[in-house]
Amino acid sequence: MKVHYKINGEEKEFDIQPGELLLDVLRRNNYTEIKGNCYLGTCGACAVLINEVAKATCTTLAAQVNNAEIITIKGIGTISEPHLLQKAFVEKGAVQCGFCTPGTIISAYALLKNNPDPTEEDIKRSIDGNLCRCTGYVQQIEAIKFAIKLLKGGK
Amino acid sequence: MNGFEYIGKNIGKIDAMALATGQPLFTDDISFPNTLHIKILYSPHAHAIIEDIDTSEAEKIPRVKLILTYKNTPQVLHTTAGQGWPEPSPYDTCMFNKKVRYVGDRVAAVAAETEEIAYEALKHIKVNYKKLPAVFDPEEAMKEGAPVIHDEEGISGVYNPKRNIVSHIEVKAGDIEKGFEESDVVVEDTFEMQYAQHCPIEPHATITYLDEYGRLVIRTSTQVPFHVRRIVAQVLEIPVQNIRVIKPRIGGGFGVKQEIILEEISAFITLKTSRPARLVYTREEEFVSSRTRHPMKVTVKIGAKKNGIFNAIKMYALSNNGAYGTHGLTVTSNTGSKTLPLYNKAPNIEFIADVAYTNLPVAGAYRGYGATQGYAALEQVVDEIAEKLGMGPAEIRKINHIKVGETSPIFKALGEGREGVTQYIQSEATDKLLELGTKEIGWYEKIRKPAKEATKVRGIGMALLMQGSGIPLIDMGAATIKLNEDGSFNVLYGGTDIGTGLDTVVAQIVSETLGVKPEQIIVYAADTDVTPFDKGAYASSGTFISGGAVYNAALKVREQILEVTKEIFGEFNTKDFILKDGFVISEKSGKKVSLSEIAYQTLYLKKQQQIMATSSFVSDSSPPPFAAHFIEIEVDKETGIITPIKYVAAVDCGVAINPELAKGQIIGSIVNGIGYALTEEYKFSQTGKLINSNFMEYRIPSSRDIPDIKTILVETYEPKGPYGAKSVAEININGPIPAIGNALYNALGIRIHKLPYTPEKVLEALKNKGA
Amino acid sequence: MLKLKEVGQCFYPNTIEEAAKLLKESGEDTRIVGGGLHLTAFPNPAIKTLIFLNNLKLNYIKEIDGKISIGATTTISELANSAEMNGYLKGNVKKLLQSIASELLRNQITMGGSVAQREPYSDIVTMLLTLRADIVIHDGEKEIKTPISDFYKSNFRATLKKSVIKEVLLEKFDSTYKFGMKRFTRNATDIPLLNFGILAQVNEDTIKNVSIVVGARPGPAERFAQAEEFLKNKTLSKELAEEFGKFVEENVDVAGDIRVGKEYRAHIAGIFAKRILNEFMEE
Repeated sequence: MKVHYKINGEEKEFDIQPGELLLDVLRRNNYTEIKGNCYLGTCGACAVLINEVAKATCTTLAAQVNNAEIITIKGIGTISEPHLLQKAFVEKGAVQCGFCTPGTIISAYALLKNNPDPTEEDIKRSIDGNLCRCTGYVQQIEAIKFAIKLLKGGK
Repeated sequence: MNGFEYIGKNIGKIDAMALATGQPLFTDDISFPNTLHIKILYSPHAHAIIEDIDTSEAEKIPRVKLILTYKNTPQVLHTTAGQGWPEPSPYDTCMFNKKVRYVGDRVAAVAAETEEIAYEALKHIKVNYKKLPAVFDPEEAMKEGAPVIHDEEGISGVYNPKRNIVSHIEVKAGDIEKGFEESDVVVEDTFEMQYAQHCPIEPHATITYLDEYGRLVIRTSTQVPFHVRRIVAQVLEIPVQNIRVIKPRIGGGFGVKQEIILEEISAFITLKTSRPARLVYTREEEFVSSRTRHPMKVTVKIGAKKNGIFNAIKMYALSNNGAYGTHGLTVTSNTGSKTLPLYNKAPNIEFIADVAYTNLPVAGAYRGYGATQGYAALEQVVDEIAEKLGMGPAEIRKINHIKVGETSPIFKALGEGREGVTQYIQSEATDKLLELGTKEIGWYEKIRKPAKEATKVRGIGMALLMQGSGIPLIDMGAATIKLNEDGSFNVLYGGTDIGTGLDTVVAQIVSETLGVKPEQIIVYAADTDVTPFDKGAYASSGTFISGGAVYNAALKVREQILEVTKEIFGEFNTKDFILKDGFVISEKSGKKVSLSEIAYQTLYLKKQQQIMATSSFVSDSSPPPFAAHFIEIEVDKETGIITPIKYVAAVDCGVAINPELAKGQIIGSIVNGIGYALTEEYKFSQTGKLINSNFMEYRIPSSRDIPDIKTILVETYEPKGPYGAKSVAEININGPIPAIGNALYNALGIRIHKLPYTPEKVLEALKNKGA
Repeated sequence: MLKLKEVGQCFYPNTIEEAAKLLKESGEDTRIVGGGLHLTAFPNPAIKTLIFLNNLKLNYIKEIDGKISIGATTTISELANSAEMNGYLKGNVKKLLQSIASELLRNQITMGGSVAQREPYSDIVTMLLTLRADIVIHDGEKEIKTPISDFYKSNFRATLKKSVIKEVLLEKFDSTYKFGMKRFTRNATDIPLLNFGILAQVNEDTIKNVSIVVGARPGPAERFAQAEEFLKNKTLSKELAEEFGKFVEENVDVAGDIRVGKEYRAHIAGIFAKRILNEFMEE
């Protein structure tokens, strides 16, 4: 069957099998910025925004979200024009191996959209589905706080 | 302390923005047309002989390309451990074996046009197994009459295969029994550490293909690209020169990617079919069939004089290597060699260890590399003897730890699979670590017995740690640096950044040495066709060994630049020249020439040459970093739940070349260690099948599980290291088990001897204590 | 990796009637998809037809006739963040919802899906049973409202082969009602290894209208009638909490599994029981 998405602002149409997972469909179509392969929704490396909500694509059927608006990490900021969250992650040592980073930033981005003034608990909760084995989360949390400061600075 | 421009500065990780914006940097982010997808068939039995395999049905499935079994693959005994040659691990495995030795052992591999077809084909491979009795407990395995796991012909490097003993280690100094006799207080205790997995979020992934000239290229998620090349050549019986290994970005390793377990299969399929092939582990395969930490039972006995000085230390470690002997000897050697020298005041030392085969998943390298298990026991027994002596935990450590200028007989006696190297400590600030750490955690205010009525009680605990920096006289790294027209430099080195930030550290070392900004350093690493050799990412060797090689190469390049400058300036004492901000400046005359100008001159006009140098580094010592860890926990007496409240790590890693990155290494290790202490464990069925092989049932910490973590870097200067640096990557995983164990004792007067510290065990211990 | 290989048809009905009709007409191998977590995480390769509820606009939370009506595809996050939950039972439901699983899963797990799957370790099922929710299903012709405990006593899996869950109704309990639920997990985002909920009306310290539910026993959540009986008309006190805790520990129906032993489950149930009552006194 055919599905249609708006991905990072671009209209896209893909041929899929009805039982396929969104993660597999998007990676096959070169959205390799989406990582992860736990297929249980437990690691969060495959997170994207689906209609503005952060979700695991490994537990989302491609067919179910037909016509959805999808934003991947590249829709938030690119290497030439990064988002403040991405800058903050780089500056605060929040990127080690970087495999979980796209998903974690997606979750943090969703948080800041809904809650520009989160508490530390809110921040921890927002990324609790994005497992990271390198950083121990501390610098990620610091980076999100730093990004909030930058965003408030009106940049 | 330093007058450095780029050392000790928090330069943003040079690959971080590309990673944070999702560039296609990982092994599986690039796909090649016509790729074959590989899936592996695993043994359902813990111990069985494959009497026959029939792949004919599976081969008939359309779009199945090739099926590999022991029948059609080279039978070369080797080790999967990606260690320096000759490997200290036994040669006890083939690509596919006729005998399976654990549930999850490899039986066959299918290459097909899609993953789905490959999976389908696996179901149609018929295997006749002759089941054999299995043994899961290392003590049972070593007994006379136990099933012999490795009875194949030709294996080598195994201490006693008939008794399932991979390795036996015995190291002695002084007279241990007399040492205990002459001690005023003696304490002995035993702790058992469990199976656990590294859990890199990127699983193992390999893509192989033939390049335009028909040479084999292996793009793989590895910590050891050069060992991959050597071992694949060995296993497939092809020349090293036919293989190029490329390391892209790696999504975490922690030791588990120091194994050659995918590359040879994928490479063989590419060679047989001339097509690209791809093998990516699932999370379940990662748990079952990659590698784990060595479960260990460690007994420590310490004898001390009344004044608290240790007189004798004895350690016995029984290590479970699972079905194959990877890293058995060396991990278990480190259990003694990375722990016992810390308390070098004891003249009488004995370290004995056995490493056993069992029919369980295969253990390998894991951050901490045996020291984690050693410290888990040692640092709790140190607390126990301190209590008996009526001393404080910090006080007893202060009077017993190794100091600058001192050595330990263990350094020489116990190396990595062979005799070690005598070394004297040249940098250390342990008293300061203890002082600052106790202050930050509020030790002396908090070290009191909490109110008895409260349901939730607090406790604090500490642990003192050391590790090493590389393997002395074994680990070697090399680097090439060359100058470009704009004054930028290419750094080509074999060092393997697996997420640690090594490439950034290396850029900082070159920047400092050559007086250019890190932005002008183009780091390209770990491509066996392009970069010089490096042993890879293990043994806490990145900054120290690989960084040392880069430093040496930079010094040589500096010499060449100064040599050329002499003529340009018409001055002949290079001691007057400094390199700064992309210029060579004569401090004597004030003359100035840019590196860009020098590059143009030497590339095109005068004294024509490529300014470049290659250099290597090997160290005759392994300078230990030191750390003092402190934790405050809250224990719920009614539920047994332990909540880490605050963690303090005071760390001496020499000069931290990039403190922010060093901090990341410390915190990452601590959180991994807390997971190991509290929740992470393998659970097996009666038949030896791992039954919690996913993140739903194997619980690693999330952002909501971490305490408040404070890191304190105490700078020392290590003369052997580049710009005074020592290692930092592994040491800090060793702290959580003993620190939490000691805090539990402080809170409730209980010790749990079998890890992890689950609420169930806390309650059981409380009950036993009351009884 | 394609696991739902046999899926050949997807439907996107626009009304719940249409959804129920499609469900009845399609065969055994048809599944209603709300959040889709169970379907994808534990795929059944036999499934052939999927009916997505996306277009039904069932992700609502509204007050009707003094009840809070929660549409079947409302996620845990949507419910937790809703204005309706802010003061509801003193915010205790909101706090509970925020602690379940992880953000990505809270964004996916729906009320309807939780009710339909009745996973033994579902916190939502324990919560809804404790809150004595009503389940509204639609069989294609009419809506049928059933108290959740009756729903589970019936052959609900058979019912759901022909009907679609439309919404969950919660009573708007007045301020005499107290709710507490506790979960034992290995770490923060874990599934519960045991959960325990109490809802009770406390009038001048006398306990009435009590419902008590234990879940992840590891069997599915069930009302704990003996415990409800025990508390009925008792006066809330520290002593009662102590006694009640012991009673629960001795009488709760739990077992051991790979995650945790039977004895511990019983013990922690007793501790939770005691603590919830103690918290009721503090409120």
